Amino acid sequence: MTATAIPSPVTLTPAARTARRTRFLHWIGVHSLAIAAALFFVLPFVFIFLTALMSDQQALTRDLWPDSWHWENLRTVWETPGFLTWWKNTLLYAGLGTALTLLSSIPVAYALARFTFRGRNVVLMLVIATMMLPPQVVIVPMYLFWAKQLHLSGTLWPLIIPMAFTDAFSVFLLRQFLLTIPKDYVDAAKVDGCGEFKALVRIVLPMAKPAIAAVALFQFFYCWNDYFGPQIYASENPAAWTLSYGLESFKGAHHTNWNLTMAATLLVMAPVIILFFFAQKAFIEGVTLTGVKG
Amino acid sequence: MQSFTRAVIGTAAVALLATACTGTSNAPQADDDATKDVSITFWHGWSAPGEAAAIAADVKAFEAKHPNIHVKVVGNINDDKIKQALRAGGANAPDVVSSFTTDNVGTFCASNVFADLKPFLDRSGIELDTTFPKPLQDYTQFQGKRCTLPLLNDAYGLYYNKTAFKAAGITAPPKTLSEFDAVARKLTKVKGDSYSQLGFMPNFHGYESTATHFAALWNPTYFTPGGKSNLAKDPAFAAMLTWQKGLVEQLGGFAKLEKYRATFGDEFGAKNPFHTGQVAMTMDGEWRLGMAREAGVTFDIGVAPFPVPDAQADSYGKGYLSGTVIGIAGTSQKQNAAWELVKFMTTDTDAVVSFANAIHNVPSTLDALKSPALTADLKPFIGIAQHAKSNTTPASPNGGAYQLTLQDFGYAHEAGKVPDLAAGLAKTDEQIDKDLAQAK
Amino acid sequence: MTSLRQKHRTETLRNLAFLSPWLIGVSVFFLYPLVSTVYFSFMKYDGFTPPTWTGWKNWQYVFTDYPFFWPALRNTLWLVVVMVTLRVVFGLGIGLLITKVKTGAGFFRTAFYLPYLAPPVAATMAFAFLLNPGTGPVNSILGSIGLPQPGWFNDPAWSKPALTMLALWGIGDLMVIFMASLLDVPQEQYEAASLDGAGAWQRFRYVTLPNISPIVLFAVVTGVIQTMQYYTQPLVAGKVASGVIGGAGQQFEPGYPDKSTLTLPQLVYHLGFQRFDTGGASVIALVLFALAMVFTAFLMRSMSERSVA
Repeated sequence: MTATAIPSPVTLTPAARTARRTRFLHWIGVHSLAIAAALFFVLPFVFIFLTALMSDQQALTRDLWPDSWHWENLRTVWETPGFLTWWKNTLLYAGLGTALTLLSSIPVAYALARFTFRGRNVVLMLVIATMMLPPQVVIVPMYLFWAKQLHLSGTLWPLIIPMAFTDAFSVFLLRQFLLTIPKDYVDAAKVDGCGEFKALVRIVLPMAKPAIAAVALFQFFYCWNDYFGPQIYASENPAAWTLSYGLESFKGAHHTNWNLTMAATLLVMAPVIILFFFAQKAFIEGVTLTGVKG
Repeated sequence: MQSFTRAVIGTAAVALLATACTGTSNAPQADDDATKDVSITFWHGWSAPGEAAAIAADVKAFEAKHPNIHVKVVGNINDDKIKQALRAGGANAPDVVSSFTTDNVGTFCASNVFADLKPFLDRSGIELDTTFPKPLQDYTQFQGKRCTLPLLNDAYGLYYNKTAFKAAGITAPPKTLSEFDAVARKLTKVKGDSYSQLGFMPNFHGYESTATHFAALWNPTYFTPGGKSNLAKDPAFAAMLTWQKGLVEQLGGFAKLEKYRATFGDEFGAKNPFHTGQVAMTMDGEWRLGMAREAGVTFDIGVAPFPVPDAQADSYGKGYLSGTVIGIAGTSQKQNAAWELVKFMTTDTDAVVSFANAIHNVPSTLDALKSPALTADLKPFIGIAQHAKSNTTPASPNGGAYQLTLQDFGYAHEAGKVPDLAAGLAKTDEQIDKDLAQAK
Repeated sequence: MTSLRQKHRTETLRNLAFLSPWLIGVSVFFLYPLVSTVYFSFMKYDGFTPPTWTGWKNWQYVFTDYPFFWPALRNTLWLVVVMVTLRVVFGLGIGLLITKVKTGAGFFRTAFYLPYLAPPVAATMAFAFLLNPGTGPVNSILGSIGLPQPGWFNDPAWSKPALTMLALWGIGDLMVIFMASLLDVPQEQYEAASLDGAGAWQRFRYVTLPNISPIVLFAVVTGVIQTMQYYTQPLVAGKVASGVIGGAGQQFEPGYPDKSTLTLPQLVYHLGFQRFDTGGASVIALVLFALAMVFTAFLMRSMSERSVA
């Protein structure tokens, strides 16, 4: 907005006064909407939090505010047999899975971005196709494969091992980003005697840090939240349950103590939210990478 | 890139061949030595802390008698997980499995998921007719194949709030359905567009008020001898649905009752609607008494057999029976050891009695039923369990699918969406038959 | 000549090396199961006894005799039309709003984004609790101000709207995408429009929309594809709302209430893992695949117009 001469308080022209009033009303309008929206987004968290701290009896009533604060509910949930195991399993699944995804997807994305070869478009098409594929399409034969041929059902390995062979979404995202890195950097390194692989590791990877961070976060996030995968492969062995599957079964084992269930929900949501606060930029950048730089 | 395309095609071809090989299933013979040191895994579906403790005690008693067999117990296993694990086999699969869903006995036996128990029974010299009541024998086998044994029994009866009865001037529990309807009406107190007390929740989503539980009062025949669905031909089903809808209308109509039902607490929680006084009478299994006491219910609870259709008034005392079944996994490599555990849990009278008392279920053997050590609470249900006309839902090759289909039809009927009951039942028969054909 | 061929060969080897994880991955985890699924759709196989050929029987069963198939398709259609549209519109609205907020922008951005991070199972259970018709806070508040209290997840007419509300609550990802693209619209175009006398709505229609239309398209198509995979939220909502704990011999009613929350992915689980009908499950999987690929083709076409180099 170009600066106009600042009018002295006494001598505002009528036009300027209207403009100021409009701006003020506009500000009120926008912020009222924002507050209303914020209520919609935040209130559920508040209710969950309040219910988690209620007594069992009160959680089943229509009361909104706890009569007494039962912080020990969080402790009870944490000490529920299995809860720690679920944590451990989910960390293993998400952590190892993310690492394997990155290790395998980066070279593939690099090849798709920098190399030219016949069939490259076919590969690209297949990557996009598998990206959009609902996991339920392939689950029946895959389950039979893992369970009957390899006897790995009741574990999380059927979910982790495939990530050592790339994840389509990560490949796609990384590839789009790598496309934006100018060729000259790598060409200069090649002149100095670098092979493609060395160029990738020494030159390109450091430049691709934001994209890698975003992909890592997305994959971690996906594994952390995955329900269908653990339901199929890990459900028969409680020692292999993850947080999402355990949470759903939690309700059954505790004969629906809603206060404890909500406390468990809090404990499952918390890590991701905390992670977000530490890695805000990476999260948001990652999302823009998908949509905007399409 | 030709080599690339070739690589992909080659893999696909191998895949096709590999696919053809996914059909092999290995059913090991029972050749393990049950006297050697061995570990077996036992899966069950109980989840409450008290129930888990009861199982642990039972297993401990077993291990005391068989110190060479170590049992690893896993609880809170529902049927989906059981089916999956048994399908996959392998190190994580159980050796002994107990399931709440008696309907699945059909699938279990027909597909050899559970091992055939006949050789084990013969070898141990166990005579079924002198050990187990007849209905329990019926729902643990399918078409002559015996692959499970009964592990405790559930009987359904009527629970009523004695305080509410007294307040309404009712002195004795109803014995026929028309008496029942009248009592339910009397006990219903309307408040605004809802209720302050409902005599009985007849809606099919109302916990144990299901189509199959009600139908049992008429001793229905679900399938013809040829295995076809019999809902339209057997008048029991039409009679049951008509009665239920009639009661729904008398108590205030489907919509009003549904709204009220939405305010109910969870079935197995402290705020069960019978505990809170929201309903004065309920149909439930023998576990309800223990749960009500645990929840600290203040009124006097009455227990009686559920009322029967007027035309069958002389069969009063019967009820719907269900139970837990136990079997040996077909893929187990330790079947002889597994059999020792199964034999102990199902036939050792002391074990059955203590387990029944601890879980508050009806015992499953003839000897146990006569035992003086059983808790007094279980007495009315033992009577129901032993009644000649008590019955259960038959097993079928695709498990409980037919019950779901009937229940679905019930939902439509109670909501008033079925203009022609006979035609609707015929259509339901067709659906059940089609599902069965698909499962064959 | 030789050195060129050699160079070509080295290059090919190098390409294969870089691509090898993907080659293995796509063959074993995509092509092989896809072929298997087609194979199984013509077989009767319950996982225990060896498979037997049944021709078109499974296809005929699913399309004409399976009572859950068409409701699931109808639900998918409803979700595509209503939920995707609402999400895109709401996402655009919130994205727009957040670009206009001056004071406390950081707070609002975080507040709007956070629900997107809530794990689906946790979020769904939370909403099932909040929207419990009898004891939940939402109906409690609605009742206290005299508004009607719908049955939400227990009422067939309200269960999908309730799921949509849950989806709108997690609008964070769309918000960020739209926000970024809105900020990318060149200021000069707005100024030029204002100079020409365009009002706020006209500026939106003739400047904003054309500039962000690729993003809108992207959001719509990916939204549709996500709807094809919609599994966890409707399943958990139905389970929690129906109160079936899965013990004591109770059967879970797919799509509670009244098949209103059924989706195609749930049917794959129902037939394949509960009824052990591998053939029927494969048929449904193929239908799902066909639908997903149709929309993927759309996406690819629209994206190739934006330089998939």
